[in-house]
Amino acid sequence: MRIGVFICHCGSNIGGTVDCAAVAEKALTFPDVVHATDPMYTCAEPGQAAIEAAIAEHRLDGVVVASCSPRMHEPTFRRTVERAGLNRYMLEMANIREHVSWIGKDVEANTNKAAELVAIAVAKLRGNTPLQAKSFTVNKRALVIGGGVAGIQAALDCADGGIPVVLVEREATIGGKMAKLDKTFPTVDCSACILGPKMVDVAQHPLITLYACSEIEDISGYVGNFTVKIRKRATYVDWDKCTGCGACSEKCPGKNTPDAFNELTGLTTAIKIAFPQAIPKKAVITASHCRQMTRGKCGVCAKICPTKAINYEMQDEIITEEVGSIVAATGYDLMDWTVYEEYGGGRYPDVITALQYERLLSSSGPTGGHIKRPSDGREPRNIVFIQCVGSRDCSIGRPHCSAFCCMYTAKQAVLTKDHLPESQSYVFYMDIRAPGKMYEEFTRRAVEEYGVDYIRGRVSCVYPDGRGGYVVMGVDTLLGKPVEITADLIVLAVGIEGSRGAAALAEKLRISYDSRGFFMESHVKLKPVETNTIGVYLAGVCQGARDIPASVAQGSAAAAKVLGLFSKDRLENDPQIANVDIRRCVDCGKCIRCCPFGAIEEVSVRGEQKAHVIETVCQGCGLCAATCPQGAVQLAHSTDNQILAEVNTLCRY
Amino acid sequence: MPVLEGKELRIVGFLCNWCSYGGADSAGVARAAQPTDLRIIRVPCSGRVDPLFIVKALLNGADGVLVSGCHPRDCHYSAGNYYARRRLEVLKQFLPVLGIDDRRFEYTWVSASEAQRWQHVITTFTGRVHALGPAPRFGDSRPLLKVADMALSALRPLGTGKAAALDELKKAIKARLPELECVIGWQQGYDGAHTVPLFAKTPEDVDKLVWGPFNVNNPAVYLPSFKGKKVGIMVKGCDGRSVVEQLQENLINREDVVIFAMPCEGTLDMARVSEKLGRYTSIDAVSCDEAAVTVTADGKEHRFCMADFAQGKCYGCTAPLAATADASVGGPVSVNPGPYTPPELALLDSLSLPERMQFWSGQMERCLRCYACRNACPMCVCRDFCVSDSRDPHWMNQKDDEREKLFFQTIHALHLAGRCTGCGECQRACPVGIPILALRQQISRAVGQLFDGYKAGFDPAATPPLLTYAPEEKNIHERDWK
Repeated sequence: MRIGVFICHCGSNIGGTVDCAAVAEKALTFPDVVHATDPMYTCAEPGQAAIEAAIAEHRLDGVVVASCSPRMHEPTFRRTVERAGLNRYMLEMANIREHVSWIGKDVEANTNKAAELVAIAVAKLRGNTPLQAKSFTVNKRALVIGGGVAGIQAALDCADGGIPVVLVEREATIGGKMAKLDKTFPTVDCSACILGPKMVDVAQHPLITLYACSEIEDISGYVGNFTVKIRKRATYVDWDKCTGCGACSEKCPGKNTPDAFNELTGLTTAIKIAFPQAIPKKAVITASHCRQMTRGKCGVCAKICPTKAINYEMQDEIITEEVGSIVAATGYDLMDWTVYEEYGGGRYPDVITALQYERLLSSSGPTGGHIKRPSDGREPRNIVFIQCVGSRDCSIGRPHCSAFCCMYTAKQAVLTKDHLPESQSYVFYMDIRAPGKMYEEFTRRAVEEYGVDYIRGRVSCVYPDGRGGYVVMGVDTLLGKPVEITADLIVLAVGIEGSRGAAALAEKLRISYDSRGFFMESHVKLKPVETNTIGVYLAGVCQGARDIPASVAQGSAAAAKVLGLFSKDRLENDPQIANVDIRRCVDCGKCIRCCPFGAIEEVSVRGEQKAHVIETVCQGCGLCAATCPQGAVQLAHSTDNQILAEVNTLCRY
Repeated sequence: MPVLEGKELRIVGFLCNWCSYGGADSAGVARAAQPTDLRIIRVPCSGRVDPLFIVKALLNGADGVLVSGCHPRDCHYSAGNYYARRRLEVLKQFLPVLGIDDRRFEYTWVSASEAQRWQHVITTFTGRVHALGPAPRFGDSRPLLKVADMALSALRPLGTGKAAALDELKKAIKARLPELECVIGWQQGYDGAHTVPLFAKTPEDVDKLVWGPFNVNNPAVYLPSFKGKKVGIMVKGCDGRSVVEQLQENLINREDVVIFAMPCEGTLDMARVSEKLGRYTSIDAVSCDEAAVTVTADGKEHRFCMADFAQGKCYGCTAPLAATADASVGGPVSVNPGPYTPPELALLDSLSLPERMQFWSGQMERCLRCYACRNACPMCVCRDFCVSDSRDPHWMNQKDDEREKLFFQTIHALHLAGRCTGCGECQRACPVGIPILALRQQISRAVGQLFDGYKAGFDPAATPPLLTYAPEEKNIHERDWK
């Protein structure tokens, strides 16, 4: 083998603490190395051109680039060697920037370490073989999980691009959290008015299949060929017959059903349509509060329904869909704020969440858009908003910022003044985070035009004053003084976490999630839409806190990823996968047992059972290779011999 | 490559590409100062790290080895690190038996965003290795010769099996013989004090079958080579466990094997018997009473009491009668299931780490590399592709070196993790009497302690603990880095 070694200076990033020329000189003593230089910037165009020229001039059949992390530039240099006619896998990288020059200033130690890292890269490269990708067909259908604004946008953009979309929504209606909002910041335009048309578009789009009241049961397969099982929960109403007339809901006697759509701020009927603009506009029975289903007598809705759509015997249904790509857009839920005993821990009726307040402000809400205290229906005069309830609070293990609370609090304070001109709003805040377009201007307006009293500080306790109001004790850290306000209503900007069930869904999607239940993107900065499972993309708050414009943008971005993926008729697999040497395989089945992807199957070879790797399913983790005692399974590009060569290079006495 | 003298020690890291390698990258991006000793080998997943890579490094000059992967639940491949956690924990408990300080090996979890954690982990681990100093070198240790104390008391009475209903068993075998290719058992060897395997094909062959304390070898070793043919096998309790394990691993098919079992009262440790017999020209007679065997060699009588001359494994045997059998003669034996440490392992337990290294150094000096240990093992599945012969993957070379020899024993022991039934054939077959069973016993002890007392060879339907995982491990605790 003829190996060329390129020790990058990366300007002074590496050259500052590593003697690159000495490393290159040392590299010439390593086996099979016939050429070694130390270019200034290897990734720059002249640097890459120099590699291509060296491959031709020195007839190289393998290249080692010692530079930054392979997580950064491995794809770049693979393309470089490919342009020069080598197989892309005849490249190895030594990470002498992140792992050497940036973590210590000792030039002697760094230079020695860099040389050793080059030595193990050379040792591994000597075991590399050219690998060829195989191609497979793509099923050009997409699944979008979650019908909030991000999911709606992703579904519409995919469908407009000609891709059939399956949209799965857990609740009875799409719209997500945005459908519950009264107005949106910073324009204070009506949420339902801007979201409604999009929801209708979803319902009417010929390429979108909508499953509401449905959840993902199971996902198998791989990019281009996923098989998804969807559990359609029993709604006890045949939606093919239901016209959404609402007659059932009017007559339903079960009027003490908690109203989930209204964030439990009011009661509703056991059979109902979630809200007037619901999509699909179909009725659903809450079984736990239906008189017919709990006590066995009532049946009013069945009698009244003009299309005979009611079916109390309905069972869950499992639907199987085949798709090629998946967008997860499952959004968020509020954290359990009742851990805050100082705010009453959920015991005071007039301490409510901002989402509940949003329903009180909304004309489709339980109070018809009049702000009334939940306890006595009185109009509040003094309203205290407390921000960062469960955000940026390490004492309860929630260090993250929920991102949009500063803005909606300002919006709610403004709306409060519009609704109740005599009222006074107070906002306890930690910092005002208003980085979006027109956001800072908006919060200024809340203070300057609407007279909202912003107090920088935390609230230490809230307690009833005995006359129907509440005393809010806090501190103004700017003045360094304690503050005491008598409030009629207290609105908490409760922090968010990944939607309930997000973790279970992540397991099914085989994607990672963090301790807050947010899905992990593939790269924090450069791959914010992709996940580590190819073909699975993220949109909206399920990945991390963000506001509506950002969610919509990410919905479109995810759709662009899907459309990009589907622009090819065939996809190529990563050839860094496991292979079985059937001469060695004794069919003990250990690899089959532990493969996390079910990528190994038993096949019959000349009458003998042998293990066989399904190329498109194998993800290349190498667990099977570490499991097989006889070394029959080897992971291409990371074989036992290659890792041993690296170990042997380092450990030899 | 040599380390920077006086400055660095040799520390090797196996980091998964997705989390920990990225974490080390993040630490670099954050310019988080770290010791320079570590050399990182990038692997796709912590599950890719065969524990043997770690032993290889530690036996060949590494002063410390660190494996780091994604946090449990965050594995890029969803479960690779769960498997790694089990295997690496077993390894950590195994290393001391070789005389390697287990503090020189650690595994941990660092995500791609945890730059600070990575800095902390590598600084702490490097500090720990420096505190331990350069690893003692296997080649430098002076041989220490010690033998296990065989003055043992058994968990149940040992005997010569004189009263065993062999004729009844032969009748049962003859009844099934027509449908079988052969029945594997024992016959008398070149004298009355030795047996050899018998592959009985005819009723006359069956009459040659013998039963008693000389039936030392494990006939299960022949079974996999008959896969696809229907054969019978006569088993002691320990042999029966090997058969069960072979069934579990699909090396044989249940419907193709007819198991004939009798309760075993113990077998003789032939090495100690020969030692007592000394040099002799011929065995004149062998006779048995209930408790002892009397061997007359060159006219001189030697009495071998079973309670004193049984194989080490027999003293701790809790299953003298194979539970999985098609024909059983003789009832179950009651056993006091008290705690029991095999004599070979007890010897190693009593030694300090440097002494253990010395011990193996002395033992391995005598190893002939005949691989009788491997050939006698009923659970060895590599067969013609054993790394010792094929040298592919190139785990070991042909250098006549104690380290290489011990590494082969380690390969065999780790290949047997969660699979070894403790039949002791490796040690019995060793012509120079190296107590290599201790390595397998340590592995089995670690597996039992970590995974609810799991013992291989009792349930053909069981899932072996190293081929599964639990998201929350009951007995494996994350070592913190504070």
